[in-house]
Amino acid sequence: MNDMTLEKAATVEFRGLRREFGPTVALDGLDLDVRPGELVALLGPSGCGKTTALRMLAGFEHPDSGEVLVDGQDVTEVPAHRRDAGMVFQSYSLFPHLSAVDNVAFGLRMRKVRTAERRARAAELLDLVGLGDKGERFPHQLSGGQQQRVAVARALINHPKVLLLDEPLGALDLKLRRQMQLELKRIQTEVGITFVHVTHDQEEAMTMADTVAVMNGGRVEQLGSPSDLYENPRTTFVANFLGTSNLIEAEVDTRSGDGIVLKAGGGKLLLPEARCSAPTTTGGKVLVGVRPEKISLTHADAAGDIPAGRNRITGKIAATSFIGVSTQYVVDSAVCPEFEVYVQNIDRDAKLAPGAEVVLHWNPAHTFGLHADQSLLAGTTGSAGVGTVDDEAAV
Amino acid sequence: MATATSEAPALAPAPATKPPRRRGRWTPYWLLLPGLLWLFVFFALPMVYQVSTSVQTGSLEEGYKVTWHFATYWNALADYWPQFLRSVLYAGSATVLCLLLGYPLAYLIAFRAGRWRNLIMILVIAPFFTSFLIRTLAWKTILADGGPVVGVLNSLHVLDVTSRLGITAGDRVLATPLAVVCGLTYNFLPFMILPLYTSLERIDGRLHEAAGDLYARPFTTFRKVTFPLSMPGVVSGTLLTFIPASGDYVNADLLGSTDTRMVGNVIQTQFLRILDYPTAAALSFILMAAILVMVTLYIRKSGTEDLV
Repeated sequence: MNDMTLEKAATVEFRGLRREFGPTVALDGLDLDVRPGELVALLGPSGCGKTTALRMLAGFEHPDSGEVLVDGQDVTEVPAHRRDAGMVFQSYSLFPHLSAVDNVAFGLRMRKVRTAERRARAAELLDLVGLGDKGERFPHQLSGGQQQRVAVARALINHPKVLLLDEPLGALDLKLRRQMQLELKRIQTEVGITFVHVTHDQEEAMTMADTVAVMNGGRVEQLGSPSDLYENPRTTFVANFLGTSNLIEAEVDTRSGDGIVLKAGGGKLLLPEARCSAPTTTGGKVLVGVRPEKISLTHADAAGDIPAGRNRITGKIAATSFIGVSTQYVVDSAVCPEFEVYVQNIDRDAKLAPGAEVVLHWNPAHTFGLHADQSLLAGTTGSAGVGTVDDEAAV
Repeated sequence: MATATSEAPALAPAPATKPPRRRGRWTPYWLLLPGLLWLFVFFALPMVYQVSTSVQTGSLEEGYKVTWHFATYWNALADYWPQFLRSVLYAGSATVLCLLLGYPLAYLIAFRAGRWRNLIMILVIAPFFTSFLIRTLAWKTILADGGPVVGVLNSLHVLDVTSRLGITAGDRVLATPLAVVCGLTYNFLPFMILPLYTSLERIDGRLHEAAGDLYARPFTTFRKVTFPLSMPGVVSGTLLTFIPASGDYVNADLLGSTDTRMVGNVIQTQFLRILDYPTAAALSFILMAAILVMVTLYIRKSGTEDLV
């Protein structure tokens, strides 16, 4: 296994990739830099171009314009069978007529490695993915998770500079998916090469990736570490696609120190200036966001107990749902219909039932500000954000 | 003994909770009945009849009697082994030609045809809209002496080569082995293409990408992935071509000569002209057994018993 950990990790660069399929723009000038040895997730709804970008890196698709660089070298014109990239396919695409060990050894056979050596190396990789004893089984005799591991081993056999994963866990059930997320992360740490992982599952991206590139409409909407993206989304799309956000339309009133005071529906909210990605001239519009789990809920009768200096909004509970670790409340408020609040089930207040008048309050430091010039609903379920040529021509 | 008696009361209540009678237990057998009846009347009975005919002796005037005269088999084989050999040779050549012509076409339809796929499929099946006999007669015109095909082959000196190989005769294509093999190839080509297409079409295109990703050049991908996965189609295609072609007599009759007679022609003549029923029945039986043996060996060898 030593020769594998010594493998040099490569950088990956996408430069202005553009690709149209008929009237659909799959990639609209995609730029992305991946650092060596990093696990980067391309995250986005279906149709956002993430798979197309991955297939261009593998060499299965050719961009209309732009280039792909691996380790600083332009590989745009290099056919797939001469690229140093290993691919794990969505449906695994194992060769059904070959046993697990022969599937893994296939890449070595193509490189004319002698039989004894390639079987030894394939067995070594099967050990790495925890299938050392299943080498003689055929794909149809293996479970989905096991096929997945064989596919990973097969893609790693030629010491690729980059491993590409196309929705690798999509076909597995939830429990197995969790297990494989950690497993893939472990393998990546062990072999130390660059992983590019395509997924539409935000939880999977956040669990596994060092860096997440949130994609929308054929380009990267925002790039960053999972926690950075979650805490500091720069667009409503990212705010809604990664977890849930409550967004409120507000108007800039005054400044106070490092903060900005905003007017929203008669009340005032405080927003740290560092967490606002929009210009903040007085009278300008800003979207204020806050994550549901940052909010505390107090019955209106006990409003006096709320410490000073917190952002407050009043409303009425529309619905509650108990989900074990927490209770989710939907609150109707003048500034935002369907405000979502997640409260941990520590001391449940029986008065917080549908119909109750409540005060929502949170630490102003947890507030983020977004440019007002975008849809509040971008990135929520149902809006895929696929751009078409027709749409763009109409704009 | 003691345990048996002590267990008896415990078992007693069992009949009271008798499981509900399973309804429709006989339905599958009832549904099979018409098919079994059909097979019995049109397959099993004729087989028995044919075996009994093959061991009869006598003449048409005096009537035939079962005398267990197995010598008919040896006599038939001794007299007609060249026709048997020729049948295997012609049918084998036609099968190989069908595979060589049909595989690229099936590959094209399965992977490259795009929106033309259905049109090409219809064109493959279209000959079936016309009678087998008429299509074969049409080949008689196509290959006619002094016709355009013969003219072109002649001017390209192809016929010089084929004549030297003994598959054509001088300036003629008609009434030569080449014409018979061409006719067989043409008539059975769809039976090759359809199973090939079915098995190729089932191959996931991503397997090609996976192979390419693992440094396989396109031709290597074909050799190591596509072709092995299409083996079920190759096996069933060759069987569907070879089996009927080796029993065929229409092509040899219409496109061949007395020198190209296949075993099918002999059987037809024995049954309908010479009226020597025992010999005809014995020949049929030998042909059937020969095909059965060859096919079994072939399937064993290609290791696809579970795939056909």
